[in-house]
Amino acid sequence: MSPTRGRGMDMVLETDRLGKRYGSTWALRECSLHLPAGRIAALVGPNGAGKSTLLHLAVGLLKPDAGTVRVFGRSPYDDTEGLADIGFVAQDTPLYRDFTAAELVIAGGKLNRRWDAALARQRLAQLGIPPDKPVGKLSGGQRAQVALALALAKQPRLLLLDEPVASLDPLARREFLQSLMGSVAESGTTVLLSSHLLADLERVCDYLIVLSAAQVQLTGAVDDLVAEHRQLVGPRHDGGAIGGVAAVVRASHTDRQSTLLVRTDGPITDPAWTIREVSLEDVVLAYLADGTTQTSHSEWGVPA
Amino acid sequence: MIWLTWRQHRKQALYTLLALAALAALLVPIGLAMRSTFADLGLADCASQLARADVAQATRETCDAGYRRFGNQYGNLSLVAVLLITLPALVGLFWGAPLVAREVEHGTHRFVWTQGVGRTRWALVKFGLVSGSVLILATVYGLGMSWWVDPLTKAAHEGRFGMIVFDLQGIVPIGYTLFAVALGVFAGTVWKRMLPAMGITLAGFIGVRAAVELLARRHYQPAQTQTFPIEGEGPPEVSRGDWILAQGVRNPDGTMIAEGARIQCPPGGKGPEGRVCGAELGLEPGAYNWQLYQPADRFWLFQSIETGVFVALALLLLYLAIRRVRRIA
Repeated sequence: MSPTRGRGMDMVLETDRLGKRYGSTWALRECSLHLPAGRIAALVGPNGAGKSTLLHLAVGLLKPDAGTVRVFGRSPYDDTEGLADIGFVAQDTPLYRDFTAAELVIAGGKLNRRWDAALARQRLAQLGIPPDKPVGKLSGGQRAQVALALALAKQPRLLLLDEPVASLDPLARREFLQSLMGSVAESGTTVLLSSHLLADLERVCDYLIVLSAAQVQLTGAVDDLVAEHRQLVGPRHDGGAIGGVAAVVRASHTDRQSTLLVRTDGPITDPAWTIREVSLEDVVLAYLADGTTQTSHSEWGVPA
Repeated sequence: MIWLTWRQHRKQALYTLLALAALAALLVPIGLAMRSTFADLGLADCASQLARADVAQATRETCDAGYRRFGNQYGNLSLVAVLLITLPALVGLFWGAPLVAREVEHGTHRFVWTQGVGRTRWALVKFGLVSGSVLILATVYGLGMSWWVDPLTKAAHEGRFGMIVFDLQGIVPIGYTLFAVALGVFAGTVWKRMLPAMGITLAGFIGVRAAVELLARRHYQPAQTQTFPIEGEGPPEVSRGDWILAQGVRNPDGTMIAEGARIQCPPGGKGPEGRVCGAELGLEPGAYNWQLYQPADRFWLFQSIETGVFVALALLLLYLAIRRVRRIA
């Protein structure tokens, strides 16, 4: 296993026009993205946006209905060998609740060819997890730590975490993310973790994928995303082109004034606009607001 | 995988064995008591004696009386037997239905299917181990029940082909139990929740069992017909233990006169006004009793066919279940 951090062009996860359908509803559609090696990537989007579907496709639980997904160049569905390189913690950290943490470590050893039981035991000991108590009786935070320890014991090159902190209290959230960052920093593991709240992940991630309404709204390195977006405030805008603006992501207007969140492709020279820097959260919210509103008017039978 | 399967199901296995032991503790004393009564009434030799053509009238009467006394004493055990035929369904409900449905309901399938073991292998090992254990269980149960119901079936006229006793003994419990488990597993892969899966298993099991029992079983082999005169000693005793599918009285030209009936007149007997036996029913001279039946010696053949049918259904369901497992996320 060669270390992957630093070889920035290596793609751990690539999807091309990936789609998954449940009945007639697309849970994920036309999803094209790539995740470079060594990144800590946040997968953000509202509930039902398709985050779990994307992760399940990546770990091979689901078979794509359209397009392709590749993890380390392999198609993950029905690929047992490829599973060895992927650590996965599903939503709500499901574990056999009547097993003790120690038994789960043994079970992992029986189920995996590459398994670092010593690492798992050491982590769990450090975290003060009792080895002989059924994990169903542990706190949510402890259970999440057990699930993470089990995923890390596989020594994965890609770690997928589905809403790992959603059910944790703020303190447990911080502890969980801290211990996660501590361990992947050493190993160079690529991490993709999802949340419906950007705030949960903003401090730890350096790469961002925004999903909404079954489609990718935004993807890229956090620094680039912040650098290329700007808020413009100026006279009421009628939709004409503005020099240096590649796209208007979101616009709000009053009678005289327009506030635009734009993606730039060069310096904005028009002096009519006041230019402000934006935070990552501003960018994400702008893209989310763009994606979610269209669908429900027709379903409710009311005019949009 | 084997360790995991054992660790997951050891409690359930223990309870199952305890239940089986409790059942044995209840039934073995009854079985022993039945056997000693059977011997005390001198019924042990009756079957072989009655099968002989030259059986003495006295022997026949003693035997019939003994059978009747035995039947009076133990006949209500048939109710217990009715309860016992539900056991395979219970195994299907509690071993089959939760096997996949429980994992999906608790989300643990996403844990176990993303380890280094593919889910096809997971399914094969798990289904294999559970089916194997159930096979042993059902074999013990079937042999035990064969021993237990033996006196009851000997005393009953329909013998081992009787509606409920056929289902209790021999090798058919193996087929039923495997089928119930496979149906449970399959239902769990379709409905993915334990309670609906259990409900479907129960309904499906009863439906298929009833359909096979009432519609299919009698056609496993072409039935034989037997005729005997309405005057005379009665049906030959070899018919004891035969499974009679239909009977009636027919005229010499073959037309059915009294369906489901049987007429027995003493030899040369005449009615009150000198009429021929059965004349008031419209029977012509030479009318005969007719029966359609499956001979008693086809018991094991029928057991094998029925077991085969259910084992084949079980294998089909397990195959479909494995295919479905590959599509659950």
